[in-house]
Amino acid sequence: MKPRSRCGLVLLLCVMSSGLLAETPVVRIDIRDHLFYPAEVLVPANTKVKLLVTNLDPTPEEFESYELNREKVILGNSRAIIFIGPLAPGEYPFFGEFNMSTAQGTVIAK
Amino acid sequence: MYHQRRRLIAPAAGMLFVQGWLLSPGAAADGITIDRVYDPYVQLLEKEIEYRLLHVDDAGTDNDFQRHRLGIGHSLSDRLAAEVYLTGLDLPGSRFSAEAVEVELKWQLTEQGEFNNDWGLLFELEREVERNVWEYRTTVIGLHEWSQWIGKANFSLAYEWGEGVHNEWETAFAGQMRYRYLQGFEPALELYVAQQTKGLGPVLTGIARLGGMHKLKWEIGVIFGLDDKTADANWKLNLDYEF
Repeated sequence: MKPRSRCGLVLLLCVMSSGLLAETPVVRIDIRDHLFYPAEVLVPANTKVKLLVTNLDPTPEEFESYELNREKVILGNSRAIIFIGPLAPGEYPFFGEFNMSTAQGTVIAK
Repeated sequence: MYHQRRRLIAPAAGMLFVQGWLLSPGAAADGITIDRVYDPYVQLLEKEIEYRLLHVDDAGTDNDFQRHRLGIGHSLSDRLAAEVYLTGLDLPGSRFSAEAVEVELKWQLTEQGEFNNDWGLLFELEREVERNVWEYRTTVIGLHEWSQWIGKANFSLAYEWGEGVHNEWETAFAGQMRYRYLQGFEPALELYVAQQTKGLGPVLTGIARLGGMHKLKWEIGVIFGLDDKTADANWKLNLDYEF
């Protein structure tokens, strides 16, 4: 491989992996008795965040939010990862679609 | 607040369409490819019944017709979903007839929002009802978010074979740029480029919640032909009932 090609390949790999190497904050949310814990989720503004949502109920739940543009089903006694952001400072409501009357929460980006 | 997040990034949003124009010239796809622009996502436990109507209105000719598609789909896992379609044609001067049966498999490759773009693959196998003619299509689905703007691009490679047809490879591009204004009302612009189709037009989409886990996703629009091969107006209606 020519040195120029090698440099190009290294640069390409750096660009491709830059998103993976960056530290993504992890925020944990539990679903228990069809409620979100915590119901108010604080996340850093203007930063991509990894939500680790654990459904402790035996039944499935769907994490949904139009404001966050996310929709994800989490089976009973299972865990799911949801990436959100980067978010401008503000409040972003979310809910559990299978139990909308109780499962409500808000992501607060500060 | 949420509304402060809404920023218009039109120049960046337009990149998707420019990309489509650059990659698609020379692409070849028989027939009308105006249909639906796919996103790469699969929802676990989701079932859906889908209806698509395309009314092709070529002013000043007798070529107007309607294409109807009815689909039933089910997710197989959190990354795979399958759907079966029956397509019918309502041609001028003839009765409505079944045209083709299709099986589709969607594979979500990346987690939504994890990388700069979200990716998926779509595999489709179609057989005409009355002739032994087959088409296999693979589509690469890409999606990018620019704040409230969502850009979707579908690049397809298809192979058609069977009796009475010229076996050939075909390519096509479909793109959509959508603004997330309200859940029940999102304006979009769609572009279709293939050998027999070059069209651009406005589309409105939205979601109506029907209680519980029931949702109706709707999409209505008109794609205007940009060349002589494409009909002047292609009216489309897509209804997707999810439960």
